[in-house]
Amino acid sequence: MTRERITVIIAALAVVGMLRSAWAHLVAEPRHDFIRKPIDPRYDPIRPYLPASGVLGYVSDERIATGAPGSDLDALGSRLFDEAQYALAPLLLQYPDRGAPLVLANLREPSRFSELLQATGLIVVAHPSPEVALLRRR
Amino acid sequence: MILLALFAIAASGAGLVAAGIREPVADRIDRGLRIALAAALGIGAWSAAYAAARIAGASAAAKDGVLALFGALLWLSARRPRAEATPSASDPAPRYLWALFGAGCVIAAAAFVEHNRRFPDGGWDAWLIWNMRARFLARAPDLGTVFSPVLSYRAHADYPWLVPGAVAQAVVLAGRESLVSQTIAAAFGACALAIVPLALARLHGARWGLLGALAIVSVPAFAVFVSNQQSDVPLAVFVSAAAALVAIACARPGLPRGMLVLAGFAAGLGAWTKNEGLLYAACLAAGLLWRTKDARATAAFVAGIVPGAALLVAFKLTYAQPNDLAHFSTAATIAGHVFDPLRWAELAVRLLRRVVFFQAFALWLIAAVVAFAVWIRRFPGTPAGSALWLSMAALILVYVVQPLPLDWLVRTSADRLIMQLWPTAVLAALPALARTTART
Repeated sequence: MTRERITVIIAALAVVGMLRSAWAHLVAEPRHDFIRKPIDPRYDPIRPYLPASGVLGYVSDERIATGAPGSDLDALGSRLFDEAQYALAPLLLQYPDRGAPLVLANLREPSRFSELLQATGLIVVAHPSPEVALLRRR
Repeated sequence: MILLALFAIAASGAGLVAAGIREPVADRIDRGLRIALAAALGIGAWSAAYAAARIAGASAAAKDGVLALFGALLWLSARRPRAEATPSASDPAPRYLWALFGAGCVIAAAAFVEHNRRFPDGGWDAWLIWNMRARFLARAPDLGTVFSPVLSYRAHADYPWLVPGAVAQAVVLAGRESLVSQTIAAAFGACALAIVPLALARLHGARWGLLGALAIVSVPAFAVFVSNQQSDVPLAVFVSAAAALVAIACARPGLPRGMLVLAGFAAGLGAWTKNEGLLYAACLAAGLLWRTKDARATAAFVAGIVPGAALLVAFKLTYAQPNDLAHFSTAATIAGHVFDPLRWAELAVRLLRRVVFFQAFALWLIAAVVAFAVWIRRFPGTPAGSALWLSMAALILVYVVQPLPLDWLVRTSADRLIMQLWPTAVLAALPALARTTART
């Protein structure tokens, strides 16, 4: 194998890689994949009601992975929880709720809000958007 | 404050490179390599110094002043060269390689922009781990909150924080988050695309440098990983910088110790970038000892690792939460996994799937396997090549013994491990291929 032949082979591999990149990133994905929503705007309405720091309890209408590795690593509720944690840092969100005075309610389906209130026995402090609310204990 | 921070990055990067490479600048390739190394090491040192200052309770501004002074003194003290300039090897590249490289850069840059548009908060692990950590660092005054046990294990409050530290500092200095993480990601991407090709060009000529650049920029996953704003590309930068400096040192008479200390420093920054970085640093040290049989040279490399490793140990002993892989493992699960042949077989199949994963790697991994099996046909005699094999063996063992579901872990981590090691693999493989042309 001469170095000229190696050069041609590597160049050909590069062309294949570039065509794949160009097709996937510049043609196929922009047409068929969706643009992810920025995470922060969902939580902007609740920010004025939150303390600057500390621990908030967390409740949701979606299941959340709680620790032990298993098949629920990709659970939808886990993503919702993690997104809320990212948006609201440096507040710490605690799940399962361990008695923090204030609790964040984060809903995938806003119509389940009253059901969630009934199940948890918490009281509404602020409910500035359908998906997110600040609650407290009775 | 912004100017002081920029000066601290530039001075520390330039000072470290000047102290490590005690030869006059030989040519444009050499100058380019030094600039790329200085940029990567400068950002790394800036972030590592920030972490040390926060753990020690010192102020960020004081830290930048000390770092700038340290870098300037290092640069001044190393101005007088100790060796003759070594010109870069000559093997001119055909023009079409330059054209292909230009096209590859344009496509990768466009993919970077497009991916950032579609993922405004970066890849999954960016907002879940790295950018979230940066937000905590920028917004919380105490590290107890940043690494609180209240955080979900998915936030990985045990990971080292070189990239979050750089992003957090830049956010505080800029007074906004917009585009900061993307800019730092792009800077590391540029370094990943510069260091290995320039080292190859320095050692083997422009042809091999450009082939190395093509082998990095045209991997479809490369631009995606750069735009993901995670720590895999920065880790690839530090590991490949260490391997490149080791390769250059091995090509010089007497294995220059300063260059090996600098290589170790780069590997240590890798350890402060991701947990895997410590493994790669250890494998590079083992590869260096194995292939050179020079304990003093290896000791110089290990001495360079010490600052990054010491920072990692200080963090792990103070604020880090337990690692999830260790936390959920028991002696029984480890033994059960090691002696389960089905698990080994399942892992082999799942890893083979990644080799032929055209969407992420096009034909590159298949080509690497074929090149090794057909042309190279022997284990590499270089420290970088040996370190790669050792790293892969260790990672396979980790996959087997770890407690998480194997299919899930391979699916979510194998590509990032490949990207962490790919530039170093290119650095190790192309000279081996070049040697086959000498044999035929």
